Amino acid sequence: MTEKASVVVIGGGIVGTAIAYYLTIKGQRDVVVLEKNYLSSGSTGRCAGGIRQQWSEPSNVRLAMRSVRHFESFKKELGADIEYVQGGYLLLAFDEEEETLFRNNVEMQKKEGLEVSILSVDEVKKRFPYIVVDDVKSASFCPTDGHANPHLANFAYARAAKKNGAWIYTHTRALGIDVENGQITGVETDRGYIKTGVVVNAAGGFSRQVGLLAGVDIPTESYRHQIMVTEPLEHILDPMIISFSRNFYMRQTVSGNIMMGQGDEDEKPSFNHDPSWRFLTQMSKKMPGLFPFLEKVRVLRHWAGLYNMSPDAQPIIDKAEDVSDYYCAVGFSGHGFMLAPAVGEGLADWIIDGSPKEVDLSNLGLDRFTGEVKREKNVV
Amino acid sequence: MHSPDLLVIGAGPAGLSAAVEAASAGLDTVVVDEGVTAGGQLVKQTHKFFGNEGFFASVRGFEIARSLLEELVDFENVEIFQESSVIGVYEDGIPVLHLPSDTTRLFRPKRVVVATGASEKFLQFENNDLPGVYGAGAVQTLMNQFGIMPGKNVLMIGSGNIGLIVSYQLVQAGVNVKAIVEIADRIGGYEVHADKVKRLGIPVLLKHTVTRALGVESVEGAEICEVDEKFSPIPSTARELVVDTVCIAVGLNPSVELIAQAGGQIRYVAELGGYVPVRDEDMRATAEGFFVAGDVSGIEEATTAMIEGRIAGLSVVRDLKGSTDENKVSRLKKELVGFRNGPISARVREGLQKLGFDVSSGESRTGNLNNPQKYRGKLRPIIECFEAIPCNPCETSCPTGAIVVGGNINDVPVIDYDKCNGCGICMTKCPGLAIFMLQELPDEDSALIGIPYEFIPLPSKGDQVHLLGRQGEMLAEGTVQRVFRSPHKTNSVYVKTPLELADKVRSIRPVLQEDNAFVCRCEELTVSDIEAAIDEGYTDFEELRRKLRISMGPCGGRTCRLNALRILSRKTGKSIEELSFGVLRPPSIPSTLGSIARQKGAEDD
Ligand SMILES: Cc1cc2nc3c(=O)[nH]c(=O)nc-3n(C[C@H](O)[C@H](O)[C@H](O)COP(=O)(O)OP(=O)(O)OC[C@H]3O[C@@H](n4cnc5c(N)ncnc54)[C@H](O)[C@@H]3O)c2cc1C
Ligand SMILES: Cc1cc2nc3c(=O)[nH]c(=O)nc-3n(C[C@H](O)[C@H](O)[C@H](O)COP(=O)(O)OP(=O)(O)OC[C@H]3O[C@@H](n4cnc5c(N)ncnc54)[C@H](O)[C@@H]3O)c2cc1C
Ligand code: SF4
Ligand code: SF4
Repeated sequence: MTEKASVVVIGGGIVGTAIAYYLTIKGQRDVVVLEKNYLSSGSTGRCAGGIRQQWSEPSNVRLAMRSVRHFESFKKELGADIEYVQGGYLLLAFDEEEETLFRNNVEMQKKEGLEVSILSVDEVKKRFPYIVVDDVKSASFCPTDGHANPHLANFAYARAAKKNGAWIYTHTRALGIDVENGQITGVETDRGYIKTGVVVNAAGGFSRQVGLLAGVDIPTESYRHQIMVTEPLEHILDPMIISFSRNFYMRQTVSGNIMMGQGDEDEKPSFNHDPSWRFLTQMSKKMPGLFPFLEKVRVLRHWAGLYNMSPDAQPIIDKAEDVSDYYCAVGFSGHGFMLAPAVGEGLADWIIDGSPKEVDLSNLGLDRFTGEVKREKNVV
Repeated sequence: MHSPDLLVIGAGPAGLSAAVEAASAGLDTVVVDEGVTAGGQLVKQTHKFFGNEGFFASVRGFEIARSLLEELVDFENVEIFQESSVIGVYEDGIPVLHLPSDTTRLFRPKRVVVATGASEKFLQFENNDLPGVYGAGAVQTLMNQFGIMPGKNVLMIGSGNIGLIVSYQLVQAGVNVKAIVEIADRIGGYEVHADKVKRLGIPVLLKHTVTRALGVESVEGAEICEVDEKFSPIPSTARELVVDTVCIAVGLNPSVELIAQAGGQIRYVAELGGYVPVRDEDMRATAEGFFVAGDVSGIEEATTAMIEGRIAGLSVVRDLKGSTDENKVSRLKKELVGFRNGPISARVREGLQKLGFDVSSGESRTGNLNNPQKYRGKLRPIIECFEAIPCNPCETSCPTGAIVVGGNINDVPVIDYDKCNGCGICMTKCPGLAIFMLQELPDEDSALIGIPYEFIPLPSKGDQVHLLGRQGEMLAEGTVQRVFRSPHKTNSVYVKTPLELADKVRSIRPVLQEDNAFVCRCEELTVSDIEAAIDEGYTDFEELRRKLRISMGPCGGRTCRLNALRILSRKTGKSIEELSFGVLRPPSIPSTLGSIARQKGAEDD
């Protein structure tokens, strides 16, 4: 293991490896990524891989749009096929409140330059005949949204970073961060000590704990989110389909499996990774009503991961005040996979050149929670 | 929702025995079992069992099952659900899928005995995904339970007890067993079982393997090959057999998914069949409230499964009622020790020792006259001849008179290490290949093992070889140190092994060629796919799994996980014990959304 590094990134998920990748292509040497388990063992390897630009907060829309451009050139740039598919994202509205929300969102999203539109029930029925539209009022649809395979994307960033000279240490846990007079001096790991002046917290569900290692208090908490996948079917679903009021999302993988999940309001903050029968039961009762073909489809696997949540359900991407050169990219709730490319790019610029340059990270600071908190609404 | 005192998963001999004990102590007991009828492996067994009289020796398997069931039906506090599969063990209960009605039912028992038995190992060869390639268990089920013949002409792979017994049963059912192929140079099962099939005229082709199944829609034939001393098929010996069924009987793996899902620790112990749950003498697993019994805790016999089941049942009673029939428990434990005393259980004893049990069994494995510790470092023979057979070349060949079989030629040989000079002649003379040479080396952590070797060509000094255990299982790699050609045809090969393996390494072989064979049938992954990914740097099982989708198919990894781990072990040089097993995710049995939505006896939530 190396004894010193210019930057130590803690966390080998999509965010940590994307940051490492952008650091290395921007010429940063001696970058280290620490991953306590294996690559993609955290939320990344457990997520649905959805890539959506239809958000209610403009900053999220912008970040997502920027990421989509990176996903579009991913294969060319990194030479890896990550099963990226732009089949669109269909947001179903089931009541007036949702219709109003979507209409306002679409207006704002169009201003941001996104290709997005409201579909009537008839249009939904015509384009997606497998949906029972009885209760559907309308929908919002963006054709350039899509999904990708999170493991492959995570591995691809790590391999590219490694090829560019970064050290990726798996099964290596950050145990402590030494700070002297507000300056970081090094990171203690269970496999040795690394001298460094710069640390990036990309620890996903464990962001708060990794913050405390340097005495930085990050207001995040982790919640279990569950997800299931069925046996593979013939290709049916182009878009990823989502509803906030019915509380679900669903997509079909390139291998044909239907993947779907929901949130659970009763969930308390925890690091619980065990799947529950309650989740399977609720999904099995809910989904075939809207998608009758699911009735006879078998569930193959079912697992849980962590949503790392900030008070407003938006990420925290910032540099700490009291400890210099301590960066964090955390609190991604259910959308850290899709934002990772833009976040990686912006944070790399910030570390190397002192500002995120073209990536707008302005509303994502640590200090934003003092006043009134404005929550992102488009979440499951 | 149902909250019984005890949920028993699996109605094989172990599960049924546990249920009998729990029920007779008055516990509210539910038994769930995947099979159409209760009895587990027993219902498939039409042959007479070996064993101890108290435990139905010489009774046919299915009759044992029937009499255990009769004991149970008298109890009103027992409910048995057949054709009911446990979907998984969740924090909020244990759902069971009832296959015929496609409905589910949730249990929240106070205690659980996991007695799920074992599932078959899978073999890699070309076209092994053609219809007509079956596991021996499936063939037995079809035949003995449903009276359906798997085919007309069968090729059996594997000459262990299961391969031998199933071949016998096939012939009994009027099926033609063309041949039994066995890759090793000797039959794996008991001699008596082998003699039975030999008497039927079924050829047992030693040093042979199947290289591919032939056919388009289903099996129309099979290509078999002789193997060389490296266990690699010799292409020039390939020949085709016209068969419509290939039956694979290459061993069993304990079915540990459920106990692992419950959070029970599992450990790789090759001697017990693979991954087994960590548990104590009372059959208590490390997951709160969970017990195990039978083949799931290590591949053994029906007799031991029944004893373990009873112990587990009595332990549950102790847990819930504060006391149990302790006399019975200690009697059962003694019976277990007695049962595992014999030479045939040597492997099981070794496995149990790895799990931390004291199994110093009274029986000395080598007929040593003197304390073997005293002879550490001396080159000396280890005699593993336990069956009382009429044989004595070891005695007559020894130039120093160190080995004595004695007046009765049926006795086992006894050696006096004081007289032995380490010449190794006995090893080359023993027709049973039951003598090995051992010397602990001065470096303190390795040993020299001499192995009798009858293959051509002989390896040479310096060659890398796989070190294999008594059942041909791969233990490590080693280097050949010396080779002696012997005028008696049995040559000697000396290899260096880690000291802790000195007691285990009993054979050698190089890598088997199996590049285009499927490891994972669900995702159609071959050995070379896996090797390529490992070469790319995916050296963690979980990373491999995510990269290749290995074990993500409907089988949930039952067939491919261990095979993939073996390849990983071979490529990375790490032992399987060191590699992470990866996660076992529910559901264990793929269930439809409809069946999950249709829950019986559950309050709506
Ligand atoms: C069920 C589910 C569905 C989701 N669906 C989507 C979706 O469709 N689209 C989307 O964009 N997002 C989705 N998400 C969210 C997404 O998974 C996360 O936001 C994203 O993966 C976060 O990436 P990360 O790299 O920050 O975190 P992680 O992937 O969790 O990586 C953090 C890593 O840090 C490591 N670590 C922690 N502490 C230490 C330490 N002390 N030392 C060393 N290493 C440490 C962890 O082991 C972990 O691997 C979903 C999440 C879940 C749970
Ligand atoms: C060909 C053959 C010959 C044998 N000959 C002998 C012999 O001569 N003498 C001897 O002593 N032993 C013999 N045995 C071994 C003996 O049959 C087994 O050791 C014994 O049956 C193990 O008992 P068990 O209860 O642990 O498991 P099993 O008998 O395998 O029973 C396990 C049960 O659990 C059920 N199950 C598994 N998973 C689930 C789930 N998720 N949900 C619900 N149910 C589940 C299975 O359907 C099965 O019914 C032989 C075995 C074979 C295969
Ligand atoms: S090694 Fe030589 S001395 Fe020892 S028992 Fe064999 S023949 Fe006798
Ligand atoms: S020669 Fe071999 S088989 Fe015969 S008694 Fe001696 S050790 Fe046993």
